[in-house]
Amino acid sequence: MVAAWPTSALWLPPPAPLATFQRVSRASERETRLRALVDRYLDFVARVLRNAGTPEAEIDDDVQRTFIAVSNRLDDVRPEAEKSFLLQTALRMAAHARRTLARRREVHDSDAQLRIQVPVHTEQLLDQKRARELLDQVLETMAPDLRMVFVLYELEELSMIEISSALEIPQGTVASRLRRARADFRERVRALSALPQAGVGS
Amino acid sequence: MNEPARLHIEPESELERSLLDAGRSYTASSSSRAKVLAALGVAGVTASSTTAASAMAKAGALKWVAATALVAGVAIPTVRYLAGHSAPASSSASAPMASTARASAALPSSASAPAKASESLPNASDPTAAEAVVNGTASAAVRVESKPAAASPLAAELSALDTVRSALAAGNPSAALSGLDAYAHNFPHGKLSLEAEVLRIDALAKSGQEAAAQKRAQAFMKRHPDSMLASRVRAYVGQ
Repeated sequence: MVAAWPTSALWLPPPAPLATFQRVSRASERETRLRALVDRYLDFVARVLRNAGTPEAEIDDDVQRTFIAVSNRLDDVRPEAEKSFLLQTALRMAAHARRTLARRREVHDSDAQLRIQVPVHTEQLLDQKRARELLDQVLETMAPDLRMVFVLYELEELSMIEISSALEIPQGTVASRLRRARADFRERVRALSALPQAGVGS
Repeated sequence: MNEPARLHIEPESELERSLLDAGRSYTASSSSRAKVLAALGVAGVTASSTTAASAMAKAGALKWVAATALVAGVAIPTVRYLAGHSAPASSSASAPMASTARASAALPSSASAPAKASESLPNASDPTAAEAVVNGTASAAVRVESKPAAASPLAAELSALDTVRSALAAGNPSAALSGLDAYAHNFPHGKLSLEAEVLRIDALAKSGQEAAAQKRAQAFMKRHPDSMLASRVRAYVGQ
């Protein structure tokens, strides 16, 4: 049921045309559309924001801002482009959050230094929270361009064509960034598990 | 275009699998849906809208969705989605019905606002913002009673916790704690009490009361190990 709900395809078939129900007022139409948008894409937006670098504590606020931005432009957004519009908005939002975070870290960079040094046993079963922290560490150290392509391809399972369109870059660039991003990701994950084991379980 | 298989299909290590899974399985917080709908002012029904909306406000979540589907015909996926979600997530599913009545367009919902404003929009649940809009928008047909808690307890709860969250974000944990005390007093059986508890743990930790934060975090994890909020609490549990 829930698991079967498609969250990965970027351009879903458009919903039934609103125009066939002209007796319904515009306000109600709009409301219905917004609700459907939220129901369909809430987790998608939250996930994109998070994986694109928005800190956990700011996710709820930025999810709201993303939907508000779409709401403000609702009349300009074609139904089949809703997901794409949400995605682009969320990516901009996340880029903003990353920049803010980076500025903050310049002041308090000791935290980041400490976090990177925590070693990991390769076969250790990680709880969700720890896995999330480690994923954040890996993604944060990737170049933003590579990170974006990686997140959209590997975590959102968008196609290269969809990514090309969402990021407004040529498909060849998507392919080469993806190649580099995957190699980079793997290297960083290997490095995590190869850190000296001193201090484990202390 | 030739697309390589996703890494999670054949991860090269357990660690890699865990990391990819963590990224793929992330979901919005349990209160996020209610907050977004409140922010969008979805139930801030204008005068022209039909009885459907007011009936919906009174009906339960599934009834509401069914009504929407009949009226607009576009919400079939929503019905499927909520039908799957309604049982375990009753609080979040019913949340918008309650909250939107009052939160009614805390933000301008017309397309006139420039897109870039999205980055600086105030939190929609901010009580002052909501109030300003409520007072200033005559066309918002939803009547807002003078005592918001009576009109929409959940919206009031949301806005109380948003105040707390803002205090935390502004680096003022003691104000956050006061806000939480007020919340506990006003909503002894609040629907968002778990969220409030998480905020309290956070506020305690930030105000230097680590031991208290840790104690509460441990109790929380014991009582609600499977809560979606558990991941936020786990950091405070300690070694």
